[in-house]
Amino acid sequence: MFSWLEKNPFFFAVAVFIVIAYAGVVEVLPSFADNARPIEGKKPYSVLQLAGRQVYINESCNACHSQLIRPFKSETDRYGEYSKSGEFAYDRPFLWGSKRTGPDLARVGNYRTADWHENHMFDPTSVVPGSIMPAYKHMFNKNADIETAYAEAVTVKKVFNVPYDVEGQTKLGTWQEASEEVQAEAKIIVDQMKNQEIKDAFARGEIREIVALIAYLNSLK
Amino acid sequence: MQWLNLEDNVNLLSLIGAILIILITLVVVGRMFQQMKETKGEAELSEHNWDGIGEYKNAVPLGWAIMFLLLIVWAIWYFLLGYPLNSYSQIGEYNQEVAAHNAKFQEKFHNLSADDKVAMGENLFLVQCSACHGITGDGINGKAQNLGVWGSEEGIIEVLNKGSKGMNYAMGEMAPAADLGVNAEDVPAVAAYVAKEISAIKKTANENLVARGKEVFATCTACHGEDGTGVIGGEVMAPNLTQYGSAEFVVDVLNRGKDGNIGVMPKFSSNILNDIQKQAVGEYVISLSRGE
Repeated sequence: MFSWLEKNPFFFAVAVFIVIAYAGVVEVLPSFADNARPIEGKKPYSVLQLAGRQVYINESCNACHSQLIRPFKSETDRYGEYSKSGEFAYDRPFLWGSKRTGPDLARVGNYRTADWHENHMFDPTSVVPGSIMPAYKHMFNKNADIETAYAEAVTVKKVFNVPYDVEGQTKLGTWQEASEEVQAEAKIIVDQMKNQEIKDAFARGEIREIVALIAYLNSLK
Repeated sequence: MQWLNLEDNVNLLSLIGAILIILITLVVVGRMFQQMKETKGEAELSEHNWDGIGEYKNAVPLGWAIMFLLLIVWAIWYFLLGYPLNSYSQIGEYNQEVAAHNAKFQEKFHNLSADDKVAMGENLFLVQCSACHGITGDGINGKAQNLGVWGSEEGIIEVLNKGSKGMNYAMGEMAPAADLGVNAEDVPAVAAYVAKEISAIKKTANENLVARGKEVFATCTACHGEDGTGVIGGEVMAPNLTQYGSAEFVVDVLNRGKDGNIGVMPKFSSNILNDIQKQAVGEYVISLSRGE
């Protein structure tokens, strides 16, 4: 049997591949399947949060902020409970990041609030003396792209079977229902903010990028 | 550094090892040369044959065979028991680290002096609280509560004038004093009475107003109770005013969070701060309004 393999280099290579790949399959696949499942209580992002996530990606926040708390006492003291893989089940793509110029944001929703983010995005040094983060004032003038966020939600629902409109999970519904939901969610945040222009814009039916971003940041828990 | 320090075991062992390897090599190579000179090629050829190039049939050396069998046994053990039962766990190591740290923390800090509490509280304040309250606790121009005022008699006047909400007590929101039927001139009187007689401040700048404040305080008893503890009929209905101006009140706010007139303060009841740390933050915050 083996002398036959030795005379047939192609099949020899195939046999070597199978033997080596077997170990990888045994070690990797079970834990991969285990960890790709959403953790209990994890819900898909709402449309407003998805719009904020797009702002986050657009501004490359992940270039300076990670979203992954490692299981070390020094990290959990500062940022909270360490991250578990099931928490990222609905992140497409995940935003773990690989560099911490600023602090980790994986659980920023636990200890920062809408009005804090508002002050911070408008003028970071007004709340964090010595901060080197740039101001993001343009987020206060540009509108969030709710349509694209809704399209993204519908796409992941259909293609990846993300549990929207499932009992106990995030509601999506038709565009009409979704935009009403977005308005309701944005209203809570706008009420907590102080910027009059944001409030005026919201009264006209416009949702600024900052509102969506805050919705996303507050959802990180 | 001495490059050849034979008092160091590692150096000595390496040197002995190197000499042994050279000696063994010499012996083995010598024997092989001897073998080549003496033995003739009489051994049997194996059936493997590649374009006329053959291979001798040699028995596997005994040492190799034993090692091979032992490795098979080890592999079965590792596959079934070794890896599943003894594998390294990062979370396990984390849990051990946390348990060890907590035990050490408890032992070291369970009996802190007042000064140490304030010092510890200041450190924690700078990490967790200063982002909103500012590094001096002044609230950064009205972005958050000014802790130099909060917790003092002046703070009570502010609460009376503006009202208070967002600590999620059963009584809910407290309206401004004007809406509760308290005259503007009586506000300092109530504050004087609460500061002197009820709260943990235990002093007032307006001694002469205390008696008047006690009369007006009747309006407040509906929610805060006769004694100001906020317990009415055995149920906690409103903040405990006897704790106002003490670290306990700060701990209460840390645990409940506050969704107030200025902004929203998150809860710090999670694992971010432990009980000793909350108490320390409380002592530090109170030291700010006492002007210490």
